[in-house]
Amino acid sequence: MTAQRLKWLGVAAVAAGLGLAPVLLKFFGGLFWINVIAEILIWSLLAASVNLLLGYVGLLSFGQALYFGFGMYGVAIGISQFGLGLWPAFFLGIAAATAMAAVAGAIAVRLTWHYFAIITVVFSLIFYFVAMSAKSITGGDDGLSFSAPPLWKAAGWLLTDRTVQYYFIYLVCAACFTGMAFLIASPLGMRFNAVRDNEQRASLIGINVYYTRWIAFVISGLLAGVGGALFALFGRYASASYMFYHVSGEAVVWAIVGGIGSLLGPLVGTALLILFRELVSGLWENYLIAVGAFVILVVMFAPRGIVGIFSDLVEGRDRRKADARAALRNLAEAE
Amino acid sequence: MTGMDTALSIKGLTKRFGGLTAVDNIDIQFPKGILNAVIGPNGAGKTTLFNLVTGMVPATSGRVMFEGNDLIGRAPHEIVSRGLSRTLQIKSVFGGMSVMDNIRIAVFAHEGISSPFRPARGYRAANDRVEHILEDTGLDRLASSSAGALSYGDVALLEIALALANKPRLLLLDEPICGMSPSETERTVERIVRLAETTDIILIEHDMEVVFAIADLITVMAQGQLLMQGTPNEVAGDSGVQEVYLGTPEDME
Repeated sequence: MTAQRLKWLGVAAVAAGLGLAPVLLKFFGGLFWINVIAEILIWSLLAASVNLLLGYVGLLSFGQALYFGFGMYGVAIGISQFGLGLWPAFFLGIAAATAMAAVAGAIAVRLTWHYFAIITVVFSLIFYFVAMSAKSITGGDDGLSFSAPPLWKAAGWLLTDRTVQYYFIYLVCAACFTGMAFLIASPLGMRFNAVRDNEQRASLIGINVYYTRWIAFVISGLLAGVGGALFALFGRYASASYMFYHVSGEAVVWAIVGGIGSLLGPLVGTALLILFRELVSGLWENYLIAVGAFVILVVMFAPRGIVGIFSDLVEGRDRRKADARAALRNLAEAE
Repeated sequence: MTGMDTALSIKGLTKRFGGLTAVDNIDIQFPKGILNAVIGPNGAGKTTLFNLVTGMVPATSGRVMFEGNDLIGRAPHEIVSRGLSRTLQIKSVFGGMSVMDNIRIAVFAHEGISSPFRPARGYRAANDRVEHILEDTGLDRLASSSAGALSYGDVALLEIALALANKPRLLLLDEPICGMSPSETERTVERIVRLAETTDIILIEHDMEVVFAIADLITVMAQGQLLMQGTPNEVAGDSGVQEVYLGTPEDME
């Protein structure tokens, strides 16, 4: 029980810290960093979508950038072609990503393990090339630029105000992570875990494994889509290059380093590696070597990632107590 | 066959794996209201029979009638939701969850509860059933332990608990006491006998002492075929059964 409470305390501390970030940064005169944090938050949604599949349902996807890209293009096309306002375009992006995930997922989740990983790459490659060649709609290599409509006209809230933009991104991400926390603790979340732990046993207690995986895939596509939609609004720009599987692979690395199967693992991993990139890439162009070495160390010695190390510390005491209690009871029964 | 007095009726069921015929055109009626056991030497096709009945392996041909419906061609989860549960020969549960959560997810699956919003721990009726099953199977002492850390005997017990969460009307048990200590065996056998009063059970078991002590009707399989079906006394006295288990006298000399 105490372990659970400590974990939620940690989550609350992270949320509060991020909520106060603009105030603190303004105070210390480093408001430039607010955009770095905003970018971390956005990309953490892509890592969270990897985490939902890998950490909770046991499916490794190397194609989540596809749904991120659909979220981006939904927003960009909605604004620049259809002349939509910010919110309709935002929801168009999410809807496009979710619909794409529903279609791709219906095929992909028939497969598991490396076959699943391969088919997710294939889907993202197909649409990467489609987006690259459909220059008239997507802008291809150059991408699509647009100017963002106001967030709320009457209140004068514009994304050009960095603080307003940050809070917009922060609140959307907070809503996503809150939704995910509810999902994980819900009966549907338990179904995900059951399918991950033991597919055969899951079907033998009456769970439709295929449908359960598909639902997870669609929700995961939605998460990536929200990230993409935010990123389009953040950069006032959409480009096919963000649909490349390289981007998906990066999200997998962020999720694994942070800790799959934990709520905030993807956020921690994304933050760590993006900050590392921001700080080191200017000084040392081969900084990716260090990233690679670090990932190998994490996979070997902390397979549950950085957050996993902390939860092991927090949970270890509780678990040892429970195990001792069970062992004693077993002994008493054997007597 | 009227189907009213049979728990499970198998007609012309065949399964070929390449050149090997694991189950060879068999017809078996398992009567209702009694404890059925299936025995036979290794490779007789007992587990394949269970796999065919529960949809885990597609049949080459034949029919499996349960409560008036043919089960062949249906997915395992559909068959389970019709009230037919099974345990596996090689025991396995949800190793990443606590014992209690294992049973909870099985209760949810049975009740069709899959909300993405409400906390899983907040379903009072489901919680009551979980508690009841924990007590009923004697797993309450391990409720909060991780299922991945259980002894093999306790995993077998948890498998039975998961099957019971489905409130099955027919329960297929594949070597339920395999790997259990003598005291665990005794308790589990007692439980199976008690369970058989309310639920139809078909049991595969290698422990002949147990089978002959508790089964009302024994079905003997050999080489994918039905050898005979009879009471323990009839089976014990049958020369054909002795032959498949012990070989013919010529072989022994």
